[in-house]
Amino acid sequence: MADDPNPGISRRGFLKGVGGGLLGSAALGEGLIGAQVAAAAGPEAIRGLQTIQLSINGAARPVLVEPRTTLLAALRDQLQLTGAKEVCDRGQCGACTVLVDGEAVLACMILALDARGHEIITVEGLAQGEQLSPVQQAFVEHDALMCGFCTPGLVMASTALLRHNPSPTAEEIRLGVSGNLCRCGTYPKVFAAVEDAARRMTGGG
Amino acid sequence: MAWKPLNEMQVLSQRRPRLEAPLKVSGQAKYTYDLQLDGLLYGALLTCPYPAALVLRINESKVRRLPGVRAVLTDAHPTGTARYAGEYLAAVAAISPQIALDALELFEVEYEVRPFVVDLDAAMEEGAPRVFAERGNITDSETDGSGDVEAGFAAAEVIVEAEFRTQVQTHSSLETHGSVAVWEGDLLTIYDSTQAVNGVREGVAQTLELPADQVRVICQHMGGGFGSKLWAGRYTAIAARLAKAAGAPVKLMLSRRDEHLSTGNRPSSLQKLRLGAKRDGTLVAFSATTWGSAGIAGGAGVALPYVYTGLPAWKHTHADVYTNAGEARPFRAPGSPQGCFSMEQLMDEMAEKLGIDPLEFRLRHDANPVRQHEWRLGAERIGWSKRQPSGSGKGPLKRGLGLGASLWQVGGGGSRAEIKVFADGAVELRIGTQDIGTGTRTIVAAIAAEELGLPIGAIRPLIGDSDYPYSGGSGGSTTAPSVAPAVQNTAEKARQQVAELAAPHLGVAPEQVRFAGGRVHGTGKSLSWREVCGLLGAQVLSASGQWVEGLSSSGVAGCQFAEVEVDVDTGRVQVLRVVAVADCGLILDRLTTESQINGGVIQGLSYALFEERFMDPATGTMVNPEFENYKIAGAFETPQIEVLLFDEAERGVIGVGEPPTIPTAAAIANAVYNAIGVRLRQLPMTPDRVLQALYG
Amino acid sequence: MNDFEYLEPTRLEDLPGLLGKRWGQSAVLAGGTDLLDQLKERLIQPERVVNLKRIEVLRGIKDTGTGLEIGALTTIAQLEKLAQYPVLAQAASSIATPQLRNMGTLGGNLCQRPRCWYFRGRQYPCLKKGGHKCYAVEGLNKYNAILNGGPSFIVHPSDAAPALCALGASLEIYGPGGRREVPIESFFQLPDENLRRENLLQPDEVLTRVRVPALSPGTRSTYLKFREKQSLDFALSSVAAVLVMDGKKVESARLVLGGVAPIPYRVPRAEAELEGKALSAASIAKAAEVAVEGAQPLGGNDFKVPLTRNLMRRALETLAA
Repeated sequence: MADDPNPGISRRGFLKGVGGGLLGSAALGEGLIGAQVAAAAGPEAIRGLQTIQLSINGAARPVLVEPRTTLLAALRDQLQLTGAKEVCDRGQCGACTVLVDGEAVLACMILALDARGHEIITVEGLAQGEQLSPVQQAFVEHDALMCGFCTPGLVMASTALLRHNPSPTAEEIRLGVSGNLCRCGTYPKVFAAVEDAARRMTGGG
Repeated sequence: MAWKPLNEMQVLSQRRPRLEAPLKVSGQAKYTYDLQLDGLLYGALLTCPYPAALVLRINESKVRRLPGVRAVLTDAHPTGTARYAGEYLAAVAAISPQIALDALELFEVEYEVRPFVVDLDAAMEEGAPRVFAERGNITDSETDGSGDVEAGFAAAEVIVEAEFRTQVQTHSSLETHGSVAVWEGDLLTIYDSTQAVNGVREGVAQTLELPADQVRVICQHMGGGFGSKLWAGRYTAIAARLAKAAGAPVKLMLSRRDEHLSTGNRPSSLQKLRLGAKRDGTLVAFSATTWGSAGIAGGAGVALPYVYTGLPAWKHTHADVYTNAGEARPFRAPGSPQGCFSMEQLMDEMAEKLGIDPLEFRLRHDANPVRQHEWRLGAERIGWSKRQPSGSGKGPLKRGLGLGASLWQVGGGGSRAEIKVFADGAVELRIGTQDIGTGTRTIVAAIAAEELGLPIGAIRPLIGDSDYPYSGGSGGSTTAPSVAPAVQNTAEKARQQVAELAAPHLGVAPEQVRFAGGRVHGTGKSLSWREVCGLLGAQVLSASGQWVEGLSSSGVAGCQFAEVEVDVDTGRVQVLRVVAVADCGLILDRLTTESQINGGVIQGLSYALFEERFMDPATGTMVNPEFENYKIAGAFETPQIEVLLFDEAERGVIGVGEPPTIPTAAAIANAVYNAIGVRLRQLPMTPDRVLQALYG
Repeated sequence: MNDFEYLEPTRLEDLPGLLGKRWGQSAVLAGGTDLLDQLKERLIQPERVVNLKRIEVLRGIKDTGTGLEIGALTTIAQLEKLAQYPVLAQAASSIATPQLRNMGTLGGNLCQRPRCWYFRGRQYPCLKKGGHKCYAVEGLNKYNAILNGGPSFIVHPSDAAPALCALGASLEIYGPGGRREVPIESFFQLPDENLRRENLLQPDEVLTRVRVPALSPGTRSTYLKFREKQSLDFALSSVAAVLVMDGKKVESARLVLGGVAPIPYRVPRAEAELEGKALSAASIAKAAEVAVEGAQPLGGNDFKVPLTRNLMRRALETLAA
């Protein structure tokens, strides 16, 4: 794997690529090998292996990917960020849920190249050092997990829910985690944990 | 040998979060699927696309030439006669998962496709294609029973009989089956997603003809098994062989498709039941003829007459039926949900015919004294007295109440453990068991902590490694009653040794030393645990123990009540509430026990209403080997679940993994009948079947 | 997935050239929630995947004064917020799961391929994939069509489609000849007109935006979807209903069924039962009855007939309240 060819790329550079910029977004996310998008002459095809930069949990991380490499594969196999799990690989179970630009999405259904220029948060990015996030802490205390394989995905979906809706109703909590499958059947305790986390985060009693 | 009284327990029988929870919620827990090693290769399996075929030739020349492929084997199938779509034929290891999948495309295989049958009824017909050439599809039947059923039915004044069907359910563990194989010289380390580190070790050693002490199996965290991961999978030896050939570690995890096809399932059933009674409600005879299909294997039995063992005359005849489909494997209470579903509905039908309330009928015929209490507890909580006559509700949304009983008889045994105490106060507990999501890691630490008077955080539980003292597989609800006595026995021995160490410094005899609150007490004087351990100097205190009598037993009862709402316009069954009453002797931890019961109820609900393996009759293949059309209950399907735990500490530790999933389908089915006045005798009770039953 | 090349054009004008004239040469990537499933199953093995998401003109929702122009890259989550079109917002909310709604786009939802398991399963050479038979006919057809099916019996899986049909939307398409607009009802094609695809797009064309006319005063609309699980699942049957009321009378009705036919299935015969009349139990029942007239269930999906009838009745009852 090549060393990071662009050590000077800053986080700010990635945020610029989000949404608005046309040329900038394409050029900023590139590594050195083979992937230049020329503005005037139409887009050039990207093929084969190359190192690209992805913004993961606030840091620029290089990954070696092909066009067909999913974001999930890049996270798990390249960066050892194995919190997001491969369970169905078809977008049907939610176990690979990550946040992209603050929205809960499925990493197995996103190409790594397509994730350039966006801010990605994984479950590993929630804790502050040793301090678990309120959602994580609530999951622990309410025993909202058993085998734990669905847990990172549920934690991410719940985190996204509370970021958008800090005081969800019981029905909204179900909706928020309705894209996540749990075979061990922890749902009742997940609902309780999310409700509890919401209370703590809004300073309620 | 006895447990401390319940009211004296400080660590056990509380509501304690599981110890590894912080690792799991932060993504730090490493499962087999997550492992990364230097030079790791990725394995993939070539599977048979046909339900029955002779594999004549496998040409792997193009596979070997693909850049990035490091090892290939073409003898993954033991005989070359494939009997279901999904059987493993060949395997490849490559430098990336994508290249491994590319490689599968390059195998050239010659098949002789054979006749096949995938449907239970079709397989039973005269002249059906034979799954095994040398025999018919129906096994010799086995009969169990007692008394004279003919005479019983002759004397009966009321008879009910009905036919019931249940579907094939796949375990669908979220972490698929799979292994990582690492050779160091002749020593093989297997990381496996398993319920049985020792079972895998034995199996792999046997298959590869290695001495067992050259094989080590490790499983720290695993993503669910439910009975499907109790022994070595074929993919494990395949991974080891690929790793040997490539000179590099190999990770071979099954795809979701292969998981559905080849790692087991709960078999289907076809049940014809008959029950006879007197008009006063006395039951006089029961007979059942049942079949089940476990694919190419046997073991599709059905538990009948289930909990109603007081029948004066009963007879149950069962045969397995082979089909060209993946073999069954034990799935959480094998045979019981199927038998409970049919028996509880038949009992309800009889009760109705006799004009007796279904609950009253159970109280009359259920000989189990514990369940007599449990029926009453559950009935009160669900509001059974408010139950309306069946089908009497107004409007399209109709509500109903139903019930079902559970029973599980298995106990435990055979475990060993070791505790080491260090001079700095550290306590290590080693036991070769595994935590399959049930909280085993936590309870073993809790037992040691309780015995040594320490907080649970003072114990370091080391599990999931076949190098640790022997423990059996985590199946059959045997884990807690196996490991708990072993750990307790070991902890007592450790305590005695520490007491002997401390006694002279406390001025008392060792028998007078007590352990509480992190301190070691004499009769007035006490030392901290740390101080006592410091007396060890350079020594390590070591205690070995094993399972002993008197701390566990077998046999739990349990029952569930369900409230449902059926929409007769759409056929949708919504479960509103489930009240689950469960006993499991001494409850080692209440929080995790509740979670087990919640989980069992939800799996039972999912079995009752959604899950179904669909086999296409024309091609003999499973059309839904994914999670879109293989439907598992989710957040919106979850009912309000109330768990009533029935303490029986004097019975010692009894496992509770399986019983909570048994009666849920029965309770829901009986509730559906109460709601709409029409009986659903086939699982799952999907909207199409409900509409079919309502509209004909 | 096969080893394809990847492009991120920024200009709409570059697209037709990149997509090419043959199906299977290129594939269009928007939300990716359908494409990646097809790629992973190797149902398609394109030489190139063309990501649309940097083409800014495909984004945005514009109020034109006479209605809305919704860019094809608008996500389903964004559609959920269009409270002024209840049938569309409700349809959007019923789609898939929260994560998939964040990713999926309107264009992708309208252009998605069928979910039929014989279509999605690589091992079945079905008619839609150029094969020799429709496996559903004699096979497991619980989720297949009861209306207008044949020779393929897929159902169109989109929820946005029946809702937009009921709203009388039109679709803008961009191709080598520039832009053209088609009414949504012409966009979708039955199998006997177009066996291999479900709409009239050519390989080098893309959907660019959807135009939804402003609602007349007195419009009531609803989307009612029935599925087995309340999340992820596609419709076993669904009803999109838009009624323009004149006092207590129905001035005009647009009723469209989803999940029961290879296209969003408008039911003029049911609309005729309502138009010019008050919404009564009788007219509603009649409309529901005729909505499923001519249904030809396949043996495994007969339940869809009473189900659809009841859903139509319920949807209309909702609007009558």
